[in-house]
Amino acid sequence: MRKAIAGAALAGACAAALVLARRERARLRLRRGMAAAGLVARGGARYAGSAPRLFAAAGEHRERLRNDLAMQTAEDVALTLGAMKGVLMKLGQMASYVDDGLSPAVRRTLSRLQDSVPPMSPDLAAGVIAEELGMRPERAFARWDPEPVAAASIGQVHRAMTHDGQAVAVKVQYPGIAESMAADLDNVALLRRMLKVTAPSQDVNALVTELRDRILEELDYHREAENQERMAAYYHGHPTIHVPRIVGGLSARRVVTSELSDGARWAEMTTWSQQERDLAAETIYRFVFRSLYEAHAFNGDPHPGNYLFHGGGRVTFLDFGLVKHFTAAELQPLIAMVRNLCVDNDPEAFRRAMEDAGFLVRGAPLSTDVVVDHLAVFYQTVRHPGRLTITPDYASAVVRRFFDLRSPVAAYVSVPRSYVILQRINLGLFALLGELGATADWRAIAEEIWPFVRGPASTPIGEAEAAWRAARRATGHPGAARAT
Amino acid sequence: MVTAEAYADAAGLVERSAAAYVAGVPESPADAGMFGPASVTWRVNTDPGRPIAGLRALLLQALHPLAMAGVDQHSNWRADPVGRLAATSGYLATICFGDRAAAQRAAARVRRIHEHVTGTDTVTGRPYAASDPALLLWVHATLVESGIVAAGLFGTPLPPADADRYASEMVAAAELVGVPAATVPATVAALAGYLAATRPQLRRTPAAVQSMAYLLDPPGLDADIAEIWADVRDGAVGSLPGWAQEMYGYQAPPLTPARQTEIRQALGILDAVFLGEPGVLEARQRITLRMRAAQRA
Repeated sequence: MRKAIAGAALAGACAAALVLARRERARLRLRRGMAAAGLVARGGARYAGSAPRLFAAAGEHRERLRNDLAMQTAEDVALTLGAMKGVLMKLGQMASYVDDGLSPAVRRTLSRLQDSVPPMSPDLAAGVIAEELGMRPERAFARWDPEPVAAASIGQVHRAMTHDGQAVAVKVQYPGIAESMAADLDNVALLRRMLKVTAPSQDVNALVTELRDRILEELDYHREAENQERMAAYYHGHPTIHVPRIVGGLSARRVVTSELSDGARWAEMTTWSQQERDLAAETIYRFVFRSLYEAHAFNGDPHPGNYLFHGGGRVTFLDFGLVKHFTAAELQPLIAMVRNLCVDNDPEAFRRAMEDAGFLVRGAPLSTDVVVDHLAVFYQTVRHPGRLTITPDYASAVVRRFFDLRSPVAAYVSVPRSYVILQRINLGLFALLGELGATADWRAIAEEIWPFVRGPASTPIGEAEAAWRAARRATGHPGAARAT
Repeated sequence: MVTAEAYADAAGLVERSAAAYVAGVPESPADAGMFGPASVTWRVNTDPGRPIAGLRALLLQALHPLAMAGVDQHSNWRADPVGRLAATSGYLATICFGDRAAAQRAAARVRRIHEHVTGTDTVTGRPYAASDPALLLWVHATLVESGIVAAGLFGTPLPPADADRYASEMVAAAELVGVPAATVPATVAALAGYLAATRPQLRRTPAAVQSMAYLLDPPGLDADIAEIWADVRDGAVGSLPGWAQEMYGYQAPPLTPARQTEIRQALGILDAVFLGEPGVLEARQRITLRMRAAQRA
């Protein structure tokens, strides 16, 4: 396990890097819609409470659409999502936590693009099932609901029941979308154009490559099923974290079937008591950083639509399409950074770790005090013990600081490719926690998870989690050491 | 050296074109309009290659010295090129998607405006009148032919029978502005014949060169739209007949399959931006619903 805070530090580094982007951008006219996609690159932005809603509501948008607009053929899919539109939507989704500098026109474009995708007709969806599973859904399943219950980014979700009576959620990919998006992602020149305005030029290649790879992975549901099953196995028996199991025989490249979960949606949960919201926040926080430090995996799609809430801090995590796996070597600098800064109080070592990871140019003419002063703010939730409330204002104030053009650090910071996706989780996570106004002793929770501390349980959930971990070790659960 | 400085800049091109388009697609039309939702005309007007068809048509239209002179000397083209383009796109949307009364009203308005557009072309020394059916026919024929060509290269190609049907349906549009139906090419072959026969009258006038230089690289576009526009331009220029490219002296990169794909992708992004404008998605949905209802019928 490594630590939560490393993640936060990264967000800081990324945000600082993006100051460069901002500076570049300032010289250009304020852009209209399409460069929206470029915002992906911009890690910083505000953690405004409203930001996650931009794309969270995919399902809600869809409910408003009438079925008579449903896509009936693969040609309809191509017209709706081909020619870069699916890619643009995906990039927009990745940028959905990031609203700093998002002009109203850009927001409108991304939101309308999302609105513009109607569901597949029952026939079209059934055709995909038939091609993937070798039989029509009415045969593949004991019961099949032809009306989708939710939108997924490149498909939709149906409810069904298996022949042995298990209620399942079946995600069905739009036909032809993988091929057309893969072809669109080949147009690196156009992707670069979409990204270059907001990304520092030296990083655009890395950024394009990373985003391409992640999106391409997402097009193959085999991979998603594998990610999800791995996480489900890892968290099996966890007191508050639930990941639905994959139903193997009913999953394929364009179909993924998992155990059906029910629970309160994000919007409903935000109306719960502050105590309940704090518990939900704690579980999300634990999930993110336990996954990172122990499973070496980072779910890069932390948007509010991907959670179901059950009260008492119990949360079901959905959608593992965008998962970034880290090697131990990639995680090492993050661990070193948080350890050096927060535990060892060794600023010089912190700086060296940043340089080793490629976040900070080696030998930059900056005093270490300046570097620390500027980046430590991202570790603020875990630098000191004690309860702390994450508010939208707090989160955006932190980020705003990094968009300060006068920052002496900005010119010397960049984001290595491996960590591009990582910034999303920070932004996403803190946007969510901010929207919940969540309070906890984040440092104490972090210490439970930090591999170089392994502190004692600090909350009731922490105690339950410790018991779960002990039981797993006792039974020699393969995921006990590392899920990957 | 050609400059576009005499023209107002192109800021607002997307917004104003979108607004005009939306206004042209009625929520509750009194009837199916000139063509009806089952027509090939509706299909061509919703094709992804449509923006290139429009630009390509303008490139060809400008080569007729008398048509160009009318636009150049009379319309607000130089003062408000964006307004002029938006008005044209609104007109085309109304003719296609509006009900008959709306189409008639829009056409009557155009005819009224044309009555006052007369003069002498300084290049050829010939008098012109915008209501001259010969000029109107040139504008019409290039638009129809460009619709077919652009769909073929950048959208969904029309089977030959549908292309003929499109030419034949569109005769009614020419009639609306005052072209005798009997003179309007009603098949793809007739269109080609007409274009070839008219070629000797075409000239590369300074007004055409200036106007098109403006259109191909409109000043004042937002940076990212400008980059997308560069692809649209390559598509329009590259899809021109060789003789037209030569007249302008354009050297368009060849439209290889790879290049066509890239241009389609750029069109997709442009379309996404267009879709972001107020009312565009709803207008599209109205069109889709009507086309589907017609299909089922």
